[in-house]
Amino acid sequence: MSFERQNGIRATVKGFISRASNVEELDDDVDLFETGIVNSLFAVQLMTFLEKTFAIEVGLDDLDIENFKSVNATTAFVVQKTVRT
Amino acid sequence: MFPFEQIGRYRDFQAFVSRDVMPEAERWDREQKLPSALIAGMADRGYLGCSVPVDYGGQGWDTVTFGALNEAFGRGSSALTGVLTVQAMVSSTLVKWGTPEQKRRLLPSLCNGNALGAFALTEPGAGSALRSLETRFSKKAGGGSLVLNGTKRWISCAQFAAFFLVFGRFEQRPMACVVPTERAGVHVEPIIDLMGFRAAGLAEIRFDDVEVPLDDVIGKPGFALSHVAPVGLHYGRISTACSALGLMRGCLEESIAYAAARTVGDKAVGEVGMIKTLLARMGTDVEAAGALCHGACRADDDRLPEAYEKALMAKYFTSVAAGRASSDAVQIRGASGCHASSPVSRYFRDAKIMEIIEGTTQIHEKILGEILLQRARGPIH
Repeated sequence: MSFERQNGIRATVKGFISRASNVEELDDDVDLFETGIVNSLFAVQLMTFLEKTFAIEVGLDDLDIENFKSVNATTAFVVQKTVRT
Repeated sequence: MFPFEQIGRYRDFQAFVSRDVMPEAERWDREQKLPSALIAGMADRGYLGCSVPVDYGGQGWDTVTFGALNEAFGRGSSALTGVLTVQAMVSSTLVKWGTPEQKRRLLPSLCNGNALGAFALTEPGAGSALRSLETRFSKKAGGGSLVLNGTKRWISCAQFAAFFLVFGRFEQRPMACVVPTERAGVHVEPIIDLMGFRAAGLAEIRFDDVEVPLDDVIGKPGFALSHVAPVGLHYGRISTACSALGLMRGCLEESIAYAAARTVGDKAVGEVGMIKTLLARMGTDVEAAGALCHGACRADDDRLPEAYEKALMAKYFTSVAAGRASSDAVQIRGASGCHASSPVSRYFRDAKIMEIIEGTTQIHEKILGEILLQRARGPIH
């Protein structure tokens, strides 16, 4: 996957998480769950967003907090799923 | 025309409810029991697994059609619609988080009515507070399986379910699993004499050292409250919201018919100004609730992240408005509205339950209030 494509995924992921958390200047490595900046619906909303936006399926094997804990982690997850599919 | 009336299958749903549900709903309420033949008939028509993919024995209907089904059934019997609610909660969870083997084993039997499920989340001491679950899974000595201990209460369909989707904790991590009703150590105690939803088969379930094979874990430990339960609760809220909408429609139709036909002195009841006020409020509430319910279903079909918020809002508004509508419907009918011979007395009792199931009104206000407040929060550095 090209560098530009990865950056595009990162920007899309970051845009959603920034809107969901209402944090404009979000560090790409900040732990979304430990800092408590997201609400109780965030986990399933992020999953739904990723599935629709990137045409991927978040399944049982993907249930790992390391996949969704930050902008960078989520970007890496999407990159990996997109390459795989 | 209400949004759901535009759905092609809606007339079929209404015809079934008019013929097989409305004439009997009062008796089911009085006897606190649903006939098994009726459940079988619903299964034959594909209603129980309507949203389950065809590959697993369902109909694969979209959420707007699912909403229309619940709205049509809500007009007839809230308790019966509760069966649709619970089967949707269980099946949607399994479709999303079940293994292929779990889906093959559980979903076809749920869809054809041979083995219904129940969503065992609420506990005597926890209510809607998901984070204070006391039900525990522990490792069985020797490994290979888990041991379940705990009590669930107010579980709809538990009296006739063949298996439970149980939520608890494993080493402090929230976890879900399926447990067959017949497994050793499972005790089901029917709860009777409820105010509403009297035929919905509620029960208390006690799990005493129940063995749970690892193959029966749903999802993974740690994700039961963040990812697993929210899927089922989401469809539970959509179902309950649409069911409450159907109940409101029933209140409106009953009230209009009574107000137009009944005379006091030489005037129709509907000529009284205050009755018009109640009808205006009820009719407007039905339109508003219909728009919210339909919007939530559409958002879910479009796989939008905001579908979760919309379902919360639809359930919140519609269940509260159903309480208002049913209270006013009783008021319009006067003494006759307080008797079982009028469906509005049942609507009144059932509507209160709708403010409690799938998260109380106060829980919805807490979650929605936090979401709205978050939008006003400034940048965090």
